[in-house]
Amino acid sequence: MSGFIFMLTLRQLLLQKSTLLLALLALIPLLIALIFRLSESDQDPENWTAEVLLGGLVVTIVVPLTALLLGASVIGDELEDGTAVYLLTKPLPRWQVLLPKVAAALLLAVALAVPATVLSGLLAIEGGGGAIVTGFAVAVLLGSLAYVAVFVLLSLLSNHALIIGLIYIFLWEGALAGIFEGLRFLSIRHFSLGIAEWVAGTERETFDAYLGGETALAFVLATAFLALLWANRRLEQVEVREAS
Amino acid sequence: MNGTQEMKAGVPALSLESVSRWYGNVVAVNDVSFDLGPGITGLLGPNGAGKSTILHMLAGLLRPSRGAAKVLGESAWHNPEIYRLIGFVPEREAVYPFLSGFDFVRASARLHGLPDVEAAALKALAEVELTDVKDRASGGYSKGMKQRLKVAAAIVHEPRILLLDEPFNGADPRQRLRMMDSLRRMAAAGATVVYSSHILEEVERLAEDVLVIIAGRLAASGDFHAIRKLMTDRPYSVSVRSNDDRGLAAALIGQAPVFGVEVMDGALTVRTSDLMAFAETVPKVARAAGVTLFELSPTDESLESVFAYLVQR
Repeated sequence: MSGFIFMLTLRQLLLQKSTLLLALLALIPLLIALIFRLSESDQDPENWTAEVLLGGLVVTIVVPLTALLLGASVIGDELEDGTAVYLLTKPLPRWQVLLPKVAAALLLAVALAVPATVLSGLLAIEGGGGAIVTGFAVAVLLGSLAYVAVFVLLSLLSNHALIIGLIYIFLWEGALAGIFEGLRFLSIRHFSLGIAEWVAGTERETFDAYLGGETALAFVLATAFLALLWANRRLEQVEVREAS
Repeated sequence: MNGTQEMKAGVPALSLESVSRWYGNVVAVNDVSFDLGPGITGLLGPNGAGKSTILHMLAGLLRPSRGAAKVLGESAWHNPEIYRLIGFVPEREAVYPFLSGFDFVRASARLHGLPDVEAAALKALAEVELTDVKDRASGGYSKGMKQRLKVAAAIVHEPRILLLDEPFNGADPRQRLRMMDSLRRMAAAGATVVYSSHILEEVERLAEDVLVIIAGRLAASGDFHAIRKLMTDRPYSVSVRSNDDRGLAAALIGQAPVFGVEVMDGALTVRTSDLMAFAETVPKVARAAGVTLFELSPTDESLESVFAYLVQR
């Protein structure tokens, strides 16, 4: 049954127009890496890749935006268009509806973001810098998990999940967490940077990472777990009524 | 609740116990109680009366603000096990447009954990006569076909209780008759079928019992014919157009079913206590008086006016 809901959700996501936009978004790092390579810049390729390309673009924009559009739609859209009733009127505990949907959104998010990370990283570093690319690939994988879980929860808490999600990505993580260091404990972006640095085994400054690797990993997993727990609780309480 | 799908002796299939439901400051359902058993029950009321809210509470999709909605004596809210017994057909047209009709019903069968998914889906599709188009994408179905598809998905596990929210919306007359036949067959087999409608004739043709909901309250309940009699015994106003309204008014005033005539601004309005008798009388009287009739039309046949009359009673 879970497999069926997973496949159904994957099909829904693949047929969405926004998924095409996300595919185009995933191409942007590749394009920028190509321009960097062709421009023969005098910047150190590894530093530029870590700070600008992967740390600045992929982890800051591509990963959260992809997770937002996918996570907010997997259940939120079904509740809005009325098709959720076909899943919620079945003798299934709600977590059996929630988890396959989260898994489908996560798979698609990772399928878009991880190749974009690896290919653009390798392209920019001219085939070297394997540790950096691996570090960011793992960070993108785990960061996507936390983002998707949080944005699925957001869609169950509010009808304005997309707007709130954008505020979180650009205002909270993009601006405020850069100014107030304490907020980085509530920033998935900074968890991801901590993991990237940890896995790559390089200097923390290279990644602008504030949190240590173990701490970042614990925070990212705890965020995902708690968000899913709350989302399940919320889905158990969600009410369905005819649109007025 | 066990999943044996057996009705418990003496326990109503569905019940509302002093149920109220409000959305913010708006009271959608106000202190409604009833018990329902096997057979077909029509939930009748004008749009916005609270019928849909009642069905959603019975289906465990809305939590009563006060009171309890029960299925076989157990709370419907927060109880996924009731869906082994219940089939629910929402009013909204939405289906998964990329799935074929067959896949849509098969999905429902699979989510119910049925042992033979294919056979159950084919049987349900045959019941609503969609077998011929089962392989077409459901997004291309007409509104009536989508309604029947939703019914097929709701009955695929042969539920003992079927809840349908405005199931005849968008169906053409032939499709309505077919769906009515399907529901009658289910009820004859011992199922409890409850459906909502704002159209009197839909309830009259199908329901054995009726619950009349007006402004969130239960205005009348019981045998449909007794309630229908309450409705038909009320005074009616009929607008009459003819080539000599004054002459026709004079001729009609002495007739038994007529107890008032009024000619105002060139229009004749007749008040009668028996619409059918009046409809039979007026052509004869017009012919005898040498008057040509152009049109007869009830002026207060809207369901709202019928309901308003019932509430006054």
